[in-house]
Amino acid sequence: MAWLLVRLKLRLLGNALRSTTGAKVSFILSTIVAAAVAVGLFISLAALRHNGAAVDLTAVTFTTFAFGWLILPLLTFGLDATLDPATLALYPLRTRPLVTGLLAASAAGAWPAANVIGDLGITVGLAHGAFAVFIAVIAVALQVLFCITLARLVTTALAGLLRSRRGRDLAALALIPLFALYETFAQVIPNMAEKGSLTAASFAGIDQWLRWLPPGLAAHSVVDASTGHPATAIARLAIVAAVIVVLAALWARSLARALVTADTSTQSAAVRGAGTLPFPRSGLRGTIAARFWVYQRRDPSALIVWGITVIVSVVASVSSLRGNGNPLIGVLLSAGFGGAFVGVFHSNAVGITGPAFLFEALALPDRRALRAWFAGQDQALALIGVPLVIVVPFLLAAITGHPLNGFLGVAVGLAAVGAGLALSNLFTAWLPYPVEKRAGSPTPRAVGGYTGQALVGTLGSLIGVAILISPVAVGVALTGSAAAAIRMPALLAAGALWGFALSAAGVALAASAAEGKLPELVQLAARSKL
Amino acid sequence: MSEPTGSGPATAAAGPAAPVTGAPAIAVRGLRKSFGSKEAVAGIDLDIARGSLAGLVGPNGAGKTTSLSMMTGLLRPDMGSVTINGVSVWTDPVSAKAIIGVVPAEVRLFDRLSGEELLEYSGRLHGLPATEARARTQQLLDVLDLKDDAKRLVADYSTGMRKKAALGCALIHNPQVLFLDEPLEGVDPVSADVIRRLLARFAGSGSTVLFSSHVMELVEQVCDHVSIINAGRIVVTGTTDEVRGGKTLQQAFIDLVGARGNDGEGLSWLGSSSG
Repeated sequence: MAWLLVRLKLRLLGNALRSTTGAKVSFILSTIVAAAVAVGLFISLAALRHNGAAVDLTAVTFTTFAFGWLILPLLTFGLDATLDPATLALYPLRTRPLVTGLLAASAAGAWPAANVIGDLGITVGLAHGAFAVFIAVIAVALQVLFCITLARLVTTALAGLLRSRRGRDLAALALIPLFALYETFAQVIPNMAEKGSLTAASFAGIDQWLRWLPPGLAAHSVVDASTGHPATAIARLAIVAAVIVVLAALWARSLARALVTADTSTQSAAVRGAGTLPFPRSGLRGTIAARFWVYQRRDPSALIVWGITVIVSVVASVSSLRGNGNPLIGVLLSAGFGGAFVGVFHSNAVGITGPAFLFEALALPDRRALRAWFAGQDQALALIGVPLVIVVPFLLAAITGHPLNGFLGVAVGLAAVGAGLALSNLFTAWLPYPVEKRAGSPTPRAVGGYTGQALVGTLGSLIGVAILISPVAVGVALTGSAAAAIRMPALLAAGALWGFALSAAGVALAASAAEGKLPELVQLAARSKL
Repeated sequence: MSEPTGSGPATAAAGPAAPVTGAPAIAVRGLRKSFGSKEAVAGIDLDIARGSLAGLVGPNGAGKTTSLSMMTGLLRPDMGSVTINGVSVWTDPVSAKAIIGVVPAEVRLFDRLSGEELLEYSGRLHGLPATEARARTQQLLDVLDLKDDAKRLVADYSTGMRKKAALGCALIHNPQVLFLDEPLEGVDPVSADVIRRLLARFAGSGSTVLFSSHVMELVEQVCDHVSIINAGRIVVTGTTDEVRGGKTLQQAFIDLVGARGNDGEGLSWLGSSSG
């Protein structure tokens, strides 16, 4: 059984190489990244040999990887057919061989191998002496086994939920904190290390807690073995092994249950806030705006997009938050990026709407109706985008100690939202493309053959917004010496008017471009898989 | 696209024509569509009388969905014309879209709306005032047996519930002509009965229904007019009795389209007696 499932896993990996170019490229890239992680992790861990905080850093690394093992399968559920016990429910299999088989299948692949190879860096970094090296090898095996068992237990326990609409929504939303975490690491940690406020010693405090978790126990066992405490080392590894056995037992139980239990989470009754649609007195534009507005709140992809927009607009100003450079530049950048991303993420509104666009197309017979469609979308997005480019710049301006800069940020932000919406409508009409939601990717991506359009839409929106907001930015730069009481209201009004004019022009141009090709837009939207 | 002209009588061996009183509700002339080198619809002529409940039947891949998409203005034909109650779909889409309702084959709805919101949305899209759309929504939810699930997301609906919701969306603006593509595919018998009765009532009031299906029993039961399409051509069209010709519709269909495949020779191991 174990061998059969390992072969199944290997066959699935092999098939990825024979399928579409996109899948092939992503498989090869993933393997290259896995190899790079293996080498990088090995070197990093090995380099800790003469570092005073070696064990603290190793415990943190091991725990981080265990966390990664825990989170990634939840996001990529569906990519690996062996992850979902339901795919095996029809076969006459007993739980015990199934557990062994699935465990073996999990261990097969580039990422588990990369984990083992990388972790073996502790044989150089932490281990001193032959016995310690021996303990280190066992610790690595147990650490990887712990990661796999933990990931399996969680995915199996949540398998029913992950197959349901509500569970997939929740898993998708986990992307927002992950993206925020990534941005924090990418922006803050290197800078802290550079400024000397983050040293190896900072990890000692964290290790006080992590040393009692299985990854920490595995790391510390090697130090014990190196410093002449073989009994403690073995005891620590025994605890890790016991934890793995308990996890495996829990997994086996949950596997047996998952094979015969249906998920009921989505059979719950009414959705919160469901009832009548908003904007009842605004005609077709209000009707379209109502649908977009409800979707911004209920569609996880939309929530992710707004989460990322907020994060991007905050991160864009990180340098001024830390007190380097001109604080005004940071606030303006934040507002500009915030507005631009409102456009970037909606530059393919028809494709993102998907096959359901057919319903709207039946009510869009002419240019006037199409204008209402584009304007309705703008209305819903502006209801979120405008407060965003008001609140974030003022917050950032207040944090940097120059609250008046907030007004300037808002002026640029309003122009940027208008420009972003205008460009998103134009690209929707000019370069629409079908999208698909792939397993493992919570936001839809262009289907094969349309990545060019997606790239042009994204870059075009970003560059276009930069160009279109330049009059307001220039206005901000040239009026530095004017009295604030005149300067601020004038620039705010200019930014708002310019943004509004841009979005209105975008609506008119997009409607005229879409008018002659509505059936083609419907056919294209029908190819989206959401 | 310039308004295509009729390509002449393209139907191959059309059967006895249906008795059409007055101008037909749906008039299709010389409709053609190719995808690359594959000709999906190879010249269709079709007249459906007002107040008729008509079925368009054919095997998988015969061109049913492509034809219906072109008749409803959602797929641009290579050639041919479609008029609905005298309004040309491709030269006057504003008037045409106002008088038709469509339930597509793959019912992809706005599934992040609740059933109630979806119907209201469809009504408002078609120009009903919000209050009227909401009132009709409640009545339709009641008739379609969706009242208890009105506040659940359409994403959590079963196939049958989605079909019923889509039918509600297509009916809410009281169209003169209703197009349905495989309306009962994947629908349980109870829901199917609800849909069937609603369609019969709708057609009984003088409105016109054209639906595609490959379930012959259903078409035989509810339709007064049947057209059989195969390989992109209408092979026969007429009243249900005329098309049947004294046989069951299923048999008439197989006789016209031709039976396919072998009877599983080579599967000698299959079955209890094979050991």
